[in-house]
Formats: sequence, structure tokens, C-alpha cells
Amino acid sequence: MSRNSEQWTQKPNLPTTHYSDPIIYSDPVIFEEEKEKIFKNTWLLASHESELPNPHDFRTYDHPGGTKLVIVRGDDMKIRTFINMCPHRGNLLVYEPSGNSKNLVCIFHQWAFNAKGDCVDIPREKEGYQDRVGKSDVALREVRTETAFGGFVWVNLDDNCVPLKEYIAGALDYMLPELETEPLETMWYYQGTINTNWKLIHDTNSEFYHDYLHYHNRITGMTDPKTGYWTRKMKAFPNGHAQVGTMEASYEQYQGGGHSKLGWPNLPAGWKLVDLYPCITFNLRNSVLRIDTYIPLSANKMYFEFRAMGLKSDTPEIRRQRQKDGAVIWSPWGRNLHEDLIASEGQTIAMAKDSEKMYFIAAREEGAGCQDEIALRHYFTEWDKRMGRSHNDPMAKSNDPMAKSVARTVAA
Amino acid sequence: MSTKLNGNRVGVEELIYESCMLMDERNWNGFLGLCDDGFEYMLTAYSPEIKKDMTFLDHDRKELKDLFDLLPKHNTDRSPFTRNATVYKVDYDDAKKQANVVSAFQIFKTTLDGGRTGLFAVGKYYDTVSLGGAKPTLVKRHVKLDTRDLAVGTHYPF
Ligand code: FES
Ligand SMILES: [Fe+2]
Repeated sequence: MSRNSEQWTQKPNLPTTHYSDPIIYSDPVIFEEEKEKIFKNTWLLASHESELPNPHDFRTYDHPGGTKLVIVRGDDMKIRTFINMCPHRGNLLVYEPSGNSKNLVCIFHQWAFNAKGDCVDIPREKEGYQDRVGKSDVALREVRTETAFGGFVWVNLDDNCVPLKEYIAGALDYMLPELETEPLETMWYYQGTINTNWKLIHDTNSEFYHDYLHYHNRITGMTDPKTGYWTRKMKAFPNGHAQVGTMEASYEQYQGGGHSKLGWPNLPAGWKLVDLYPCITFNLRNSVLRIDTYIPLSANKMYFEFRAMGLKSDTPEIRRQRQKDGAVIWSPWGRNLHEDLIASEGQTIAMAKDSEKMYFIAAREEGAGCQDEIALRHYFTEWDKRMGRSHNDPMAKSNDPMAKSVARTVAA
Repeated sequence: MSTKLNGNRVGVEELIYESCMLMDERNWNGFLGLCDDGFEYMLTAYSPEIKKDMTFLDHDRKELKDLFDLLPKHNTDRSPFTRNATVYKVDYDDAKKQANVVSAFQIFKTTLDGGRTGLFAVGKYYDTVSLGGAKPTLVKRHVKLDTRDLAVGTHYPF
């Protein structure tokens, strides 16, 4: 029987960990608070070392906290990150997404900076500033950077953050043999702007119950007992991270090519997946490592960054095959990717801020199997901790003074 | 380059435009009917971020047919696409009885719910057309996309 309004808006008869108030996916005030409390002090994956292989190569990164960054490789081959802003009158230092330049020279008044962030030239310095402002006063702002876990470049805006390894807390350990077997190379980087909340796609990546959405995954995994699909286990790690155990997909069940026997060193036919808080996924299956990172633009708009990684040692023939393997499921034409994204947009349309309230259910318990929603619940426990709010009642039950004032503003 | 086969320019243009019309109609068998048995289809985009060409579709005729046949099994945004192509250049290779054709295209998406039309992507078709038979046929199509942000993406080849 259908439900009336009162029944529909009743809290589910479940532990509070097992459902959310969808306002967390649409409220602009919550989104602003997430920038402060989540993005500005977590480690985020900004690039890969292969995207800036030579001294003086640079690569930009649009930090979700709202700050533009530029990643630069120095003469010493070290990768450093700076705020992509000229300390003179605030112009963008670097306009292009990648390039090579001995110094980063601001186009506006030609202040120049080296790859260590030192200011090395100010035109007519003495004439204008005498001794009041000098090069040593105006170096770039460096951002905590580490290159690790397969050569990825990680950044953290918080100077006092814990080291990356401590933050990852072992969540990537089971993928290390594949990540560190030999140098990786970014073979695809592309973005897609979509109308959804940044957490919704990460939610999708955190459970395999949605294989019902994917014809490809159903026939190459869920419905084929020999794949080991039902024995895959979800495992939670500190700081909101989670991983999914491997399986051996039956790719031959899906017609149309693109699933070669190429595989990946140490993982010839498996599938490993790690979700890192707040919005990074390492997804290694068949012959491709896919990395998702999300750049939120507002509560209901974001763009994703997709990287498909191959091996640096790939011959042109192998690289072609690797791209073909990845393309079937994950390119902009990928069968799975499009399905995931239309679902996330659909959630955002239906759960819009002014829509009839409902409760978002994450209550599957299946012995931590891959269709258990344990990783979603784990993710929201971390969200609560960082936000000082409760995901199931985010506007009311906070002890955090900022959250309370936010709740009042929203209610008003 | 020769101009001997220039009389076929109209036939070549009609082939390109018909390929767009059939794809707009999602008449995939019709589209394959314009293609040679050894047809090869490739779709790439150049990424200035990583300075590489990225290959998003790379299929022979059989694989392309499999892709078309599986479309109904998938969850897909079924909003129609409209292709608007202009043939820019036709180069003839008399020895091979082929033409190499460059066409610019824009592809628009019209939403099913409401009918709003927006530009989805722009790019160029680099086609190899066989002129040896009764009518021109597509031997190879290389779609080079300028647009890389394709939002939710699509399952339908361009
Ligand atoms: S703003 Fe950069 S030199 Fe003036
Ligand atoms: Fe998915």
C-alpha cells in the first residue's frame, strides 16, 4: 500500500547510522561548510608524476576548497605545489593546464618565480619599492605535497596535517603490489561537469548493490558464480576509507570486444577497488587503473576528473589494447560510467532541496559482502565527525556552534 | 592529388550527410549499410592536460555491430542527438580509388523531457571513402573530438 505524507516522512525503523537526511546532498550552507571542514584539511589526489615528467613541467589543479593550485617539478626533480596566484595583485600565474617554463612569470607585471616558489624577478624593483618590498618578501605560498602510492601527487592545504601515509591508514596497502610494480602513466585525463552533489558519486562507488544498474557487471560478475563475486568483502579503514576484495570477472560474457587478456602486473584478471575519503577512488580491473576525483562546484554541481592509468613501459600496441579495455566500461562512451552518472543526476533531481523530504536508506547488512552498505555507513560516520553534524538529522543535533548557527540560518 | 574523380564530390558529400542522418535516427543497421566490410571506426580526443590523444572508441565493423546490438540492454539517456556536418575538404587518391574527406560537425542534444536543445560536442570527421564500387562507401571513420567535457557521456557513437 502506498504511504501518505506522515508515513512517508517518518524516520525509518532503523539505527540512525543506517539512513540519511537528503538535505546533506542539496543544502548550500552544508556545502560551504564541507569546503572548510573537509576539503581544506584532507589529502587530495591532484595529479600523477607522469603528467609532469621533466624539470620545470607544471600542471594545474582546481582545489575543491576553492583555491587554484599549480604543481611544479623542480631542477631537483622534486614535485612541489603552490597557490596559483601572483602575490602582487592576485592574477593567475599559470593559465594553461600543463606546460614547461623555467620560471613562472606572471603576465600582468612580469614578476617571476622559480620552481621552488622563490621570487626571482620584480621589474624595476628598486625604483618602485626602494627597500620596502623585495623579492624575499613575496615568495609563493607552498602547499603540503607528497608523491606516493604509485606516483600520484597528493596535496593538503593544511600546513599542520598528518603525513599522507597516516591519513591513508593502510587502505591502499592491498593494492600496493599493483601500484608500485613499475612506473605508471596517465593515458586519459578528462573531466565531466554534471548536475549532482559530489558525495553521491562517491556513495555509488562505495557499494556494489548498484550492479543492478549495470548490465555489463551483472553478466560478467553477479550472475556468474565462478567469478567469486559473492565472496568479495568490504573492509573499512580509519578516516572514512574503504576497500573491496577482488574477484575474477567473466569478461567473455560481454560481447563487443575490449576485454583482452592483457591484465595488470600481479593482477592478471582481478578487480580491486579502494574508496578514499572524501572523494577519491582507485579502481583497478582488467588492464586499467581508473582514478576518480571530484571537484565540487556547488551543492548540486560538480565535475569529475577521470584518469585511466597504464604502464609507462607500454608499447603502442599494448597501449592501444589497454585503452580499448578501459573504453568499454569507463570512457565517456563507457557502458558503466554513463549509467552511474545518469543515476547520480537522477538522485539530484528527485532529492532536490525543496522536494518532499524522505530518508535515504543505507541499511544493507550482508556480512560485509560487496552488496553490504557498510562502506556508505562508514563514510557518513566520518562525515559526522568532521562536520559536527549528524547525517540523519544534520540541522538539529549538532553541538558545534558553527553548525547550530548554520542550522538557524537555513531554518529562517 | 588529382581532380579526375572530382565528379564524385556530390556522392561523397551525400554519403557523409546520410551517415549523420542515419545516426541521428539511430538507424544503426542503416549506418552499417553505408560501411565497407573492413570498416574501422575510431573516436579520439586530444588532452592538453596530459598532452596525449585519448582513444575512447576503437572498433572494427563486428565490434561496432555488437555495440549497437547491446544498446537496448543498457540504461541510457535516450535524448536525441542532431548532427550538423559540413564537408570541408575532399582529397582524391586515384590509385586506391578512394577519397579522404574532412568534415566539421557539431552535435546537439535535445532533452526528452521539455525539448531543450544544447550543444553537446564539436569535432571533425576524418573519413576514408571507397569510390571503387557502385556507390561511395565508408572504409574508415576517425572522429576527432574538440569537446572533452561530455557531462554524463553517452552510449551512442558520433
Ligand atoms: S599581478 Fe602578477 S606581476 Fe602584478
Ligand atoms: Fe557503477
